[in-house]
Amino acid sequence: MSGLVWETEWRIALRRPRLFALNVLVPLLLAVPIAVSEAPAGHAAAVYAVLFVIHATFGSAIPLVRDAETGLVGRALRAGVRPGEYLLERCASGALLDGVQLLPSLLVACWGLGSDAAAFAVALASLVLALWAANLLGVLVAAAARTIAEAALFAAVSALLLLHVSGVFRAGAPGSLSARIEAAAPFRAIHEALLHSAGGGARPDLTIALAWAVVLPAILLLLATRLGPRLAGTPPRDAPGRVM
Amino acid sequence: MLRAIGVSYSYGSSPNGVHDADLAVAKGEVIGLVGPNGAGKSTLLRLLDGQMEPQTGRVERPPPRTAEGRVDYGFTAEETPHFESLSGLHNALFFARAAGLDRTAATEAVERLFERLALSEHAALPVAEYSFGARRKLALVEAMAHDPSLLLLDEPTLGLDAESRTRLAALLAERAHAGTGIVLSSHDAAFVEEVAHHVVFIVRGRTRRGGRPDELIEALDGAVNLIFNLSGPLRSPPEPRGPDWTVIDDGNPIVVRAERGQAALPEVSRALLSAGADIREVHVREPGLGDAFRRIMGEELGPPPRGES
Repeated sequence: MSGLVWETEWRIALRRPRLFALNVLVPLLLAVPIAVSEAPAGHAAAVYAVLFVIHATFGSAIPLVRDAETGLVGRALRAGVRPGEYLLERCASGALLDGVQLLPSLLVACWGLGSDAAAFAVALASLVLALWAANLLGVLVAAAARTIAEAALFAAVSALLLLHVSGVFRAGAPGSLSARIEAAAPFRAIHEALLHSAGGGARPDLTIALAWAVVLPAILLLLATRLGPRLAGTPPRDAPGRVM
Repeated sequence: MLRAIGVSYSYGSSPNGVHDADLAVAKGEVIGLVGPNGAGKSTLLRLLDGQMEPQTGRVERPPPRTAEGRVDYGFTAEETPHFESLSGLHNALFFARAAGLDRTAATEAVERLFERLALSEHAALPVAEYSFGARRKLALVEAMAHDPSLLLLDEPTLGLDAESRTRLAALLAERAHAGTGIVLSSHDAAFVEEVAHHVVFIVRGRTRRGGRPDELIEALDGAVNLIFNLSGPLRSPPEPRGPDWTVIDDGNPIVVRAERGQAALPEVSRALLSAGADIREVHVREPGLGDAFRRIMGEELGPPPRGES
């Protein structure tokens, strides 16, 4: 990893202050009314979890499809950037950018839920892990989509499905199969951390979220030589099978 | 260093594409690909670059990277996407570093090329604010900054002003002298004549006989272009051709290719006068690569319809 893509993504983000501000303010438009309302903590925590995961999945998938459509992904790969490096550095910069943009919303959410400092720290760690996983999910979505509209649809469906599997909308009965699946799902930790901020539930175990944070990039790296050319539309410079 | 042997690539039922094309470029050689729109020049360049694999035939390419890991190809397409919100300098640095240069070497190489192609004053501007010509120069910088041993340039003079075109010709000559193999496609026959060591004509996707530009021009056997400037419009369209001359542009000026040189001048003048031409002045232009290409095209496609050059 050279850091070239990471550096470029940050540079692009900083050159677009309006977009950056919108990405801070729009989540707040949802978070603030819920935080100041009498919404039950369980419902509020679910909405915040959906907001954070959807924000990151869309934010990863849609710009990637747009750059694939303009030919920029193909150009970067043909110029010599390796597919795995390109995708992982995009995800890493995207997750950190999302974290910065969503931090005010998390602060508002935790304030609304009555969180103390320790619970906020756990929620922040869970948020970073969730955003990392959601950005990686966004890359998979982008590789499956052919248009921005398809990417938006696939991002919404896959993120909501994984949130459901993570027990955000309805928790499975203790000991049941669905409860065991929920315990191993990638967005379980952020939901539990938000519930914990409200004083409900145990402090979340971040082990599973950490495991996803390692497994998902490993999967992405394994698939990168397939995903890269798919996004690029043409084989990258070092693609296997090129006739020399 | 690069060789295409009988390569073909078709786009479904479209007649466009490349059919059984052969091409070879040696170290330090500049090959000019000349052909009309849709002849297959861009497709052939993409096949050479490996962006597409031929459906039949094969391309023998050098390894994509040097032993040090630097990308050894440079490519510009007619349309080159950029990071629009970033400056030209940051775009060029991205592609130079992607190709394997470290930050210092990339900065030095990019700044040198910005200077050479007169792009320095635009370096800090976002690409979104670039003119078409500035974008084209930026794409050329990006293709060359990592000093590849093979350069594939699609219409490199498109959008360039005369000064930039001269600068580019000098830059390509230097690169070739240093051993870079260059294949460029262009509609700009004068530019190809200036920089190419060998010209390959491509017509309807098939590579046709080529040669050194001076040989191709000599093969025209004394043919010249007669250029008639008129004081006003013609009363009726001129005769499209005579026994040894052909009207290749019937606008004002009228351009006539005379196969046996100036000897055709009286006859052509008479033909134009009878069409009502008020001839103000006549120039005789020595033939160039464009004329050699028109002859090839004429042989391939038959005489042009009336009014078409």
